[in-house]
Amino acid sequence: MFKKILLATSGAPSTFGAARVAFDMAKRYGAEVVVLNVMGVPTKAFSQVVNDVRTGEEVEVDDEYRSWVEEELKTTFEKQFETVEFSKLVLTTGVPHREILRCARDEDVDMIVMGASSGDSNVYRKGYPGSTLQRVAKAARCPVMTVHRETASYWGGFSNIVFATDFSKQAASAFKFSLNAAKELDSDLTILHALDISGKVLDQNEIEDRLIAARERIRGTYDLGDFKNCDIEVWEGVPYVEIVKMARERSADLIVMAHHIRELDPEKARIGSTMEQVILRAGCPVISVSKPDKV
Amino acid sequence: MPEGKFCNKTPITTEEQLKATLGDKGGKQYYEEMNHLDVDSEKLWGAIQKTMKSRTKTWLEICAHCGLCAESCFLYQVNGRVPEQVPSYKIQSTLGQMVKKKGKVDNEFMQMCMETAWSKCTCCNRCGMYCPHGIDMGVMFSYLRGLLYSQGFVPWELKIGAGMHRVYRAQMDVTMEDWVETCEWMAEETEEEWPGLEIPVDKEDADIMYTCNAREPKHYPEDIAEAAILFHVAGENWTVPSEGWEQTSLSMFAGDWECCKDNVVNVYSAIERLRPKRAIGTECGHAHRATVIEGPYWAGREDGQPPAPYIHYVEWLAEALRTGKLKIDPAKRIKEPVTLQDSCNYVRNQGLKDVTREIISYIVEPGYFVEMAPNKEHNYCCGGGGGFNGIGLYREQRNVALRKKKQQILDTGCKLVIAPCHNCWDAIRDLEEEYEIGIRWSFLKPLVIGMLDVPEHLLPKDE
Repeated sequence: MFKKILLATSGAPSTFGAARVAFDMAKRYGAEVVVLNVMGVPTKAFSQVVNDVRTGEEVEVDDEYRSWVEEELKTTFEKQFETVEFSKLVLTTGVPHREILRCARDEDVDMIVMGASSGDSNVYRKGYPGSTLQRVAKAARCPVMTVHRETASYWGGFSNIVFATDFSKQAASAFKFSLNAAKELDSDLTILHALDISGKVLDQNEIEDRLIAARERIRGTYDLGDFKNCDIEVWEGVPYVEIVKMARERSADLIVMAHHIRELDPEKARIGSTMEQVILRAGCPVISVSKPDKV
Repeated sequence: MPEGKFCNKTPITTEEQLKATLGDKGGKQYYEEMNHLDVDSEKLWGAIQKTMKSRTKTWLEICAHCGLCAESCFLYQVNGRVPEQVPSYKIQSTLGQMVKKKGKVDNEFMQMCMETAWSKCTCCNRCGMYCPHGIDMGVMFSYLRGLLYSQGFVPWELKIGAGMHRVYRAQMDVTMEDWVETCEWMAEETEEEWPGLEIPVDKEDADIMYTCNAREPKHYPEDIAEAAILFHVAGENWTVPSEGWEQTSLSMFAGDWECCKDNVVNVYSAIERLRPKRAIGTECGHAHRATVIEGPYWAGREDGQPPAPYIHYVEWLAEALRTGKLKIDPAKRIKEPVTLQDSCNYVRNQGLKDVTREIISYIVEPGYFVEMAPNKEHNYCCGGGGGFNGIGLYREQRNVALRKKKQQILDTGCKLVIAPCHNCWDAIRDLEEEYEIGIRWSFLKPLVIGMLDVPEHLLPKDE
């Protein structure tokens, strides 16, 4: 399930965590890493003039610039490239989310790994709302892993997976992925449903009833087969808080969630999305699954 | 006849030449070679005799140098109202002189002509509306560009642009395979949210054949997905051609007449091959001008019409809203001051001013639409038309040119600009980048999709 990993990186320090996890997975599971760098966003003419994604400055893409970027990336990830057997570097120009999706499709990868902070919102993005991450997570056919903070305690590998479900259609794919990963990596799995009681006034009995119902629903919905290392938990509260709390409690090194936010307009889908909040706050990689193709 | 390796009288016709010319960073060597490029006076005069017809002759002749066109030109206005920016002066001092001297002109003169034709005129044709004789200097400049191109005096990017059209029959390096693959990809990406959505390629006898701009598959394939969503929701029987899908014409801006014809004939063959009831082009201005307004003449069509009725995207959208094929949820209409950019190429040049306003009446809450002044067929060019946006050599001049549109937008007080034209969209994006006036801008498609009242049966089942 981890044969080919696409690492999307601008080469900036904010993506080092993602790189570390991607290369670590590749080393552990013998996967190939495709390192994609979208050098710049086309400004005019035939895409040879682009805004450098890191500086925002206008540059002309030619062989010289290309090899300079390549050299930069090779130097940045030098040690990591050495640790894996198969890797390649893909450089392109375009709108970042679109090129990440294009590359994932062309290379038929099993997972996309990227940093979570896109930094400033460049002028080019205004005409097409939504962050790179939102857009990639929405359309990718494979799971998308984001690593927001390089966790010092992350030793590599996954031994504790927390799968947070909202019972959506996409969550069924996310569950399949979690179960397969847990089996393959021989790790513990926690299935959590965070009962959303934010802004609601409920008496304790009703909350208890709902917790019991949710527990039943998890049992009825997700077939674990003969997999034993699994806990089922239902906590009430604000979903993203509960998910992050659970991850801390279990010392989870991976959180899996379903992605089904349709709204890309950041004004409307403001950071309200549970997914984004979890990514920002969790101390471990977060995987979002939206489609059943690669689970 | 010294001709340069890159700068010469021969059009780019192979991928190799394209790549090599692109490899000349910023056209440095290209422009250096241009300084030594000879003018083939005989050929130039021959071309003028053969191609300059009575209209242009008359126009050159009857211009009374009255200067009434001066104020009509936005470039005159933003460049300190210097006499050198008066349209009549601009054309008389270039094409006028070329004709007077029977083509016996030198390199320096040709370079001056190039600078005038590509950095002092966007072929927006506004001057033609204000000339007491109806002399349209935009049309004449298009003609002059053709003469300059044939002699090799053309900005580097447009030489490449015309080359792209010759090699790929598209303004960017998008092959037929790339295009078809992108359509499949977008259908895949969109069908989950819109069950049953398809992007049919080469379907014969459909009601609609849709054509677009190569930038869409190259960088913004969402645009194709959005077009598909709207056709799908409207229940249209539509298709895209695998060949002849690209309707833009940088060759028109470059003055590569031969290539203009080749490209438009290619689009028309697609119409003849697939026999759609009508063709619809994307939200692009010059592409419409090239395929619908001027194209039939380039292709030598007797009736001056494309092989099937060929309409602009805004015409289809207005019709779909009018007939109820697309329904807008009134609660989702735009409720902030919003203005509209009238694209010269289909508003001034084809009169589609009421159509776009009809669309506005459906998608904007009454009271929130603010007209630019002047507007409709009197509107000013965005500042980036006629290829101006893409020419690095004239970037500074282009940035000055954006000031007119900037002022117009600021005067409306709106923070949202609807720009149903790729070139205007680009210019307005650049305008924000350059002057940071805090605006947003959008094509129509994403706005309309965001406010659709979608029939129950088209929604995904499980939610």
